Amino acid sequence: MSAAIELIDVRKSFGATEIIRGVDLKIEKGERHAVIGPNGAGKSTLFNLITGKYSLSGGRIELDGNDLKGLQPFEINRLGLSRSFQVTNIFPRMTVFENVRCGVLWAMGYKYSFWHNVDKLTDVNERTQQVLEEIGMVERSQIPAGVLTYAEQRALEIGITIAGGAEIIILDEPTAGMSHSETDQAVDLIRQVTVGKTLVMVEHDMGVVFGLADKISVLVYGEIIASGAPEEIRGNAAVREAYLGEEAA
Amino acid sequence: MSNVASAMSTSANGSIVRRNAVWLIAILVVIGLPFIFSGGVAIAVLNQMGIAIIFTLAYNMMLGQGGMLSFGHAVYFGLGGYFAIHFLNIMSSGSFVLPLIFVPIAGAVAGLAFGMLFGSFSTNRAGTVFAMISLGIGEMIASSSLIFTKFSGGEEGITADRTEAMPLFGLNFAQEIQVYYMIGGWMILATWLMYRFSRTPVGRLANAVRDNPERAEFVGYSQKHVRFMSFAISGMFAGVAGALFAVNYEIVTEETVNALTSGVVLLQAYIGGIGLFFGPIVGAVVFTLLQTLLSNYTEIWALYVGIVFVATVMYAPFGLSGLIAMHVPVLQAGRLGSLLMPYVKIGVPAVVCGLGLIGLMELFHFTGDRAVGESEKELFGYVFNVDTATPWVLFGVLMVGGFILAKRMGPAVFEIWQEATNFDNSGDNK
Amino acid sequence: MAELIIFSLLNGLVYGLLLFMLSSGLTLIFSMMGVLNFAHASIYMLGAYLAYSISSVVGYWPGLIIAPVIAGIFGALVERYGLRNVHKFGHVAELIFTFGLAFLIEEFVQLLWGKQNLDYREPEILAVPLFTLFDSTFPAYKAFMLLVSVGIFVALLIVLTRSRVGLIINAAITHPNMVGMLGHNVPLVFMGVFGVGSALAGLAGVIAGPVLGTFPGMAVALGPIVFVVIVIGGLGSLIGAFVASLLIGFLQTFAVAIDYSFGDLFTFIGMTLDSQSAISDLYTVTIAQLGPILPYLLLVLMLIFRPTGLFGTREV
Repeated sequence: MSAAIELIDVRKSFGATEIIRGVDLKIEKGERHAVIGPNGAGKSTLFNLITGKYSLSGGRIELDGNDLKGLQPFEINRLGLSRSFQVTNIFPRMTVFENVRCGVLWAMGYKYSFWHNVDKLTDVNERTQQVLEEIGMVERSQIPAGVLTYAEQRALEIGITIAGGAEIIILDEPTAGMSHSETDQAVDLIRQVTVGKTLVMVEHDMGVVFGLADKISVLVYGEIIASGAPEEIRGNAAVREAYLGEEAA
Repeated sequence: MSNVASAMSTSANGSIVRRNAVWLIAILVVIGLPFIFSGGVAIAVLNQMGIAIIFTLAYNMMLGQGGMLSFGHAVYFGLGGYFAIHFLNIMSSGSFVLPLIFVPIAGAVAGLAFGMLFGSFSTNRAGTVFAMISLGIGEMIASSSLIFTKFSGGEEGITADRTEAMPLFGLNFAQEIQVYYMIGGWMILATWLMYRFSRTPVGRLANAVRDNPERAEFVGYSQKHVRFMSFAISGMFAGVAGALFAVNYEIVTEETVNALTSGVVLLQAYIGGIGLFFGPIVGAVVFTLLQTLLSNYTEIWALYVGIVFVATVMYAPFGLSGLIAMHVPVLQAGRLGSLLMPYVKIGVPAVVCGLGLIGLMELFHFTGDRAVGESEKELFGYVFNVDTATPWVLFGVLMVGGFILAKRMGPAVFEIWQEATNFDNSGDNK
Repeated sequence: MAELIIFSLLNGLVYGLLLFMLSSGLTLIFSMMGVLNFAHASIYMLGAYLAYSISSVVGYWPGLIIAPVIAGIFGALVERYGLRNVHKFGHVAELIFTFGLAFLIEEFVQLLWGKQNLDYREPEILAVPLFTLFDSTFPAYKAFMLLVSVGIFVALLIVLTRSRVGLIINAAITHPNMVGMLGHNVPLVFMGVFGVGSALAGLAGVIAGPVLGTFPGMAVALGPIVFVVIVIGGLGSLIGAFVASLLIGFLQTFAVAIDYSFGDLFTFIGMTLDSQSAISDLYTVTIAQLGPILPYLLLVLMLIFRPTGLFGTREV
């Protein structure tokens, strides 16, 4: 059985600068995998490579056995991968309800239909309502998304990401910019909505990482220097030196 | 009431009548208008309005719904018109005949075909690239229409006779009032279809791609494909409007397909408001009225339209319909009354300033344009001698004075507006 | 034949350099502020009209200085009080604003000067032939136009590559935020660039008015071509603007001179044509008639296959 995501000797250069220098990574289905590393290590670049925003300079990425070479983001999404963004990426002029509903439509098979009336699609609307309940945004569902508070937008972001029922969820710094209490809520939400799914995330908040992840990989200067269970990483000297420093949780 | 139910209630609950109240009212209005505004001129204006409404709504499918700014949408309008007029001529020659009311289908087909053709490469990107490509295509087609004269009739255009189509229930559409009802019928149909489209999955995703193309890809949709569909269908309805134009005026020329027509539809859509579905209807109505009525009172009506347009872009980017929509929550909260006095306080000086500005511009225009020896200009019911200082000083004072007063009222009115629209604690208050 | 080529070259050069004067300002403005200024050609029109009025009072030469200055101030004011307010609504709104401005300027020009062609003429001293070759003459005024255009090009080159201001502008083109954080008054730089760009456009109008005509439609006639030039040349690239201006200048001038049609081409390769079909015009239309379309065809092709243009580094 193939891994959920497999990176084989992945390389990426921008011009003469090699940002990702030969990354090998295997993420099994159902795993909760965190990628950490100092700033500038290339974490976002790695995510953009997996999700099709950037093209590979070398190596291979496979999603459930499928080679992702040359695929557009929407094609990768249709293979079962969904992502959230570091900078909040929602549909600001549409209501919260509509935002989530957009995440549901393709997954439920309505595709490019120009004859169905979305207001009458019970399955779509019920699923949307379900997601809204999960992220706790039912009260605010008719508000234009651009007007929400930052934390609400982050929650909506997660909602759109999971609405389609994708099997592999990629979250890029989901708790960035949040206060302590907001972070705790976000972590609970993430844990709840990713039950049974494969979760890959980039995070800087070590509390979140050690709280959620089954497995952690450490990316430094475009290379994975360590990968394993949280306790292993905690105790790994090279990691400490490169990254955790005195912060060793 | 859960959101699912509330989202669906307007569609599921209630009788057919209540669900579709808006459309039934629209149909009644269209049927009844000619009885209020009878007479040749009125009907001609209404016909023009009807065509403009369809065209502007079609245009807004791309601009307001899809986020695609096009400077060349008259291409589909004009080509729809050309195809329709040739269709009419083919019917005149007797090869086959159809009732006139089916002619817009020729326009729709032409609009759709060319929409798909040009959309296939235009929609790779949105934004400025898209706008530039649309400009290029628009200029190409407009120039081509002067070159390929067999098809376009060159500068003189192509004419046809709509009465040569197959009569429908004995009507041959020679009279304008009959054309009115044809336009009215097609307008309701087209508007209804376009509204329905906006409620389909593709229609919703068009909004999403407009707001955030990257995100839309990550819910499974190709942004290019969504834009392409909006483009093609928008072209189709523009073609319908063009065909109705051909039927109404019985002539199609280079003007129908040129940059000016493209510019005017942008103007109409933006003034009406591109953010709401019905905004362009407001814009088309207002612009047609300005164009037809205002031109009776002043020769520089285009200048006034230009000023209104630039003012809209700068201060009211949501257009007239947006301005009205902003007041709906205020009305619902019962706070509209609190806005009345402030609006009067700033409105009166603003109007005075406007009168002053208009007066000065009219005087100026008159002095530039007049015959030798003429020095009397009528304005707002009074006669002024432009060679004396009086009218200039008068309107100058009105303009400057009005401006200063209005500016002074500004902050206070704005504060009251803020209060009236502050709904953060509305759960506690009302 | 040689006469045709030589004069087409010369005229193409004059026209191309004129296009450069217009496109240089426009591409600078775009690459700095991301705004495609639809009203740029309208300011060109304003320059011509202002020069006309000035020349009716004090003669041609003062207009050469005064009109561009007024145009430049106008441009700076537009940026400061108009564009800056619309900036927050996004690029599309900015485009629509400049579009509305172009429309407004055209209407105001008609209000102030009327709708007819104006008799704006070159100064007497230049209204003579410079030389005569075969049967055609080349007016001294066109040589003057060449001189001014080349002078502007050289001046721009020096300012942008050798002066401190030029250095700041170059930096602000690619990294406006960074330049702001280094302490330079970026809004002032923007206003300045917009002003200078407008002054250049005004100057182009002053010198082109007598040759290309001074009438309310002159902005609409030239405007789209200037867009074609900057897109083909590549945004942000002055070299690109230069090359593309000459390219389009020569293309249009030569196309007008070529009288061969597609029909000639088809006959040449042995095909006959049906003169009754609806697109029979395609066979009889000459390259000369197609002249107006060619730049737009190039524009569309460039945007599809290479949106960065010939020399540009940024996409539109």
